[in-house]
Amino acid sequence: MNNNKHSHWFFIGPHIILFLVFILIPSIYGVYASFTNWNLMTSPTWVGLDNYQTILFNQDSSFHLEFFNGLKNTLIFVVISVPLMIIIPLLIATAIEHKDVKFKNFFQSIIYIPGLISISAAALIWSLIFNSQLGVMSNLFGSDTVWTATQPYAWMTIFIMTVWGGIGGNMIIYRASISGVSEDLYESAEIDGAGPIRKFFSITLPSIRFPLIYTVVMTTAGAFNVFGQPLMMTNGGPRESTSVLMMYIRDLAFGSGQSIAGIASAMAVLMGMIILIISAAQYYVMNRNSA
Amino acid sequence: MTKRKNISKYLAYLFLIIVCLIWVIPMIFGFMTSFRSQAEVVNEGFRLLPVDWIVDNYIKILDNTSSAPILRWIGNSIFISTTHTLLVVVIISLTGYGYSRMRFKGRDVLFFTLMGISFFPNVVNIIPMYRIIDILGWVNTSWAMIVPGLAGMGNIFLVRQFMKGIPAELDESARVDGAGDFTIYFKIILPLIKPVLIVAGLFSFIGSWNDFLWPVIVYTDVKRMPVTAGLLLLQDIYGNYQMIGQLMSSAILAIIPTLLLFLFAQKYFVSAINLNAGIKG
Repeated sequence: MNNNKHSHWFFIGPHIILFLVFILIPSIYGVYASFTNWNLMTSPTWVGLDNYQTILFNQDSSFHLEFFNGLKNTLIFVVISVPLMIIIPLLIATAIEHKDVKFKNFFQSIIYIPGLISISAAALIWSLIFNSQLGVMSNLFGSDTVWTATQPYAWMTIFIMTVWGGIGGNMIIYRASISGVSEDLYESAEIDGAGPIRKFFSITLPSIRFPLIYTVVMTTAGAFNVFGQPLMMTNGGPRESTSVLMMYIRDLAFGSGQSIAGIASAMAVLMGMIILIISAAQYYVMNRNSA
Repeated sequence: MTKRKNISKYLAYLFLIIVCLIWVIPMIFGFMTSFRSQAEVVNEGFRLLPVDWIVDNYIKILDNTSSAPILRWIGNSIFISTTHTLLVVVIISLTGYGYSRMRFKGRDVLFFTLMGISFFPNVVNIIPMYRIIDILGWVNTSWAMIVPGLAGMGNIFLVRQFMKGIPAELDESARVDGAGDFTIYFKIILPLIKPVLIVAGLFSFIGSWNDFLWPVIVYTDVKRMPVTAGLLLLQDIYGNYQMIGQLMSSAILAIIPTLLLFLFAQKYFVSAINLNAGIKG
């Protein structure tokens, strides 16, 4: 054996260094910074639980108001966008996988392509569509509302753009899973007289439960990080009703003026904890119900 | 029975055609508007086809090389995404080999520990990551976008799974012939895992191209930005839609590179996620 005892470091070593520098250290430091007063440049000073105390309980603090407004708006986005991002691609995948439907790859490509467009390029086009004087909505449907500055339309522009650009991945996962379901199951159900809806709920859905759990958990965790759509479509408005947590965290840490990275880190840790708890709960509930 | 089947077939077609129309119209609308003059857009309002086709918008946006250097932004993005992708392929194949085909003490414990840590929500890392990039002197440089993403575990997991499906006899017979690990990695394993590397590479490219939050944080220098961050700036400069045609032509230019990539590598994009689903399913 000419196998050097330490040669594995050649293979895994470079990645371990990257992992330490860009994942482990920033994660630990992010938690540490949440207990400090920090302006990103000088060394942080320890303040214990002060940041959390301010954010969670100090009714007079703007950080308290920002956090809860941001959290509320982020939750609105998650609660509405996630079901859309699961149900719509599931319906599309089911329709594409209908055994008599042709041009399967064509339909799939059309729906997948917006996912390749960056949020900023897509937002420029969608902003024009929703523009109050020049856009499609005003000219074609005679709507004289400023969509991005009036609720509930402001949220609708964000959801429309999100669904348009964000369902391609889930659709392909569902398509692949649905095409893998055994044809025999459907045939024997047909003999028993089951219609298409019955077949969908009693055969298709249970057969694709693992991809379904996976996409629900991943889509939810992703939705919490929403940032680009509200920033570019509504800039958080009207009256901060679409300002999400990620926008506040970015403004506090990297906005103009003094960086308030300690408070921003505490908000990030709170948000991270919420994501972890919800992901775990989703996994637990869905896995148990489908077992 | 057949009749019911036909109805469901037509319903499926109808649904798909409606969805596809909704999906393409914004893109076509953006494309067509990029060939219309501001005066025409304002006076004529919405129409799909321009009255007069003009290329002024493209000329003007390409001429602006100071406040909105769109070609430079696209060039930056191409450099960033290509370099990132090449490095991803090298790192994940080396690391995947290490965790699946080499034997050393604590290998699987180490691997799953790293996997576990990587599930920690990314939002917590961002602020310290900026500090680290700053210490490295990478703020406003391409490295800020190329390197941090190389630390991820997802693609390594994928490659490791894929390598586990390759029979161990291949390595053993090569070892008998006197081959070392590097020879086995390079000559035997690498050619066999090409499909998974292409797939991981494509998704890394698209991911890095479309990243938005991070470039908005690390770039303030207009000349160094990737195109995603540039377009945010452009929205401010050309705000209130005084120069609609230019905004649309910039958006279209920014879309072209990834669209071309998709057209050339379409089959991998599709097989890609099949592979993903296969593992997770």
